[in-house]
Amino acid sequence: MSAPITHLLDGETVTAVAGEVWSALVGEEEFLVPGHDGPVVLGPSAWVTVTGPWNGLVVLTCDEAGTADLTRSVLQMRADEEVTAEDVDDVLRELANILGGNVKSLLPGPSALGLPETGVAPLRAADVDTCRVAASWRGHDLAITIQGATEAPVFTTTEVPQ
Amino acid sequence: MRALVIDDSRAMRRIVASILEGFGYETRPAGHGREALDVLEEGWVPDLACIDWNMPVMDGLQFVSAVRANPAWRSVTLMMVTTESEHGQIVKALAAGAHEYVIKPFTADAIGDKLALLGLLPTGVPA
Repeated sequence: MSAPITHLLDGETVTAVAGEVWSALVGEEEFLVPGHDGPVVLGPSAWVTVTGPWNGLVVLTCDEAGTADLTRSVLQMRADEEVTAEDVDDVLRELANILGGNVKSLLPGPSALGLPETGVAPLRAADVDTCRVAASWRGHDLAITIQGATEAPVFTTTEVPQ
Repeated sequence: MRALVIDDSRAMRRIVASILEGFGYETRPAGHGREALDVLEEGWVPDLACIDWNMPVMDGLQFVSAVRANPAWRSVTLMMVTTESEHGQIVKALAAGAHEYVIKPFTADAIGDKLALLGLLPTGVPA
């Protein structure tokens, strides 16, 4: 079993990687503003798996309104062009793919990247094995979560974690 | 000059095609390696193929091997454009017959520099 992700990567590094991806893919003048640990971002997610000495997921989540703006920006669409669900999925998948590939390059290798998926991201890892970065872009909330393979503890309704 | 842009992401195909068209290329898209082979088999043989690695149906490495196995397609320059940045992966792609390797994310300038290195920048286009 490899070390928890928090021993391998820090939030600052992930933010720097995401910033590079953003300026290359979303636009040279587009910046991610690092956020604070606030409420969990609710919205569509895209993720890729990393399999190798380190196993886990790299997940990108963006608030609902942000995904449409993000798609317009990446696809350089005109304001009157309709953004389809397929466009949104495609853009989120590719952003997650590039983020995942760049994060993978910072982890012990050799390892393999899975094909990107979209939907409600699986929550697999315990907090100790999760690196979570919050950011905003044009006022939209985003989160990048890197989850190791350590399973999260399961609590029943009568058990409250202390 | 002609370029085949092979990526399962429509967004990425659009970005790469837009950069290449800026350099004067005529481009055609393909969503995976098998679809790209269909384009070659129909007789549309490009000067350059930009190839993603991780794709469904047929991945980029399988496509490179298939192109290199056919002498009729020897003139096609193969450039991997991928998130796979491990040294071992780069070596594997070059050994299979890829000529160049670009890691995502990239800029238009980075693509231009690679084209210049390969002698594939159309005349009159500044590198």
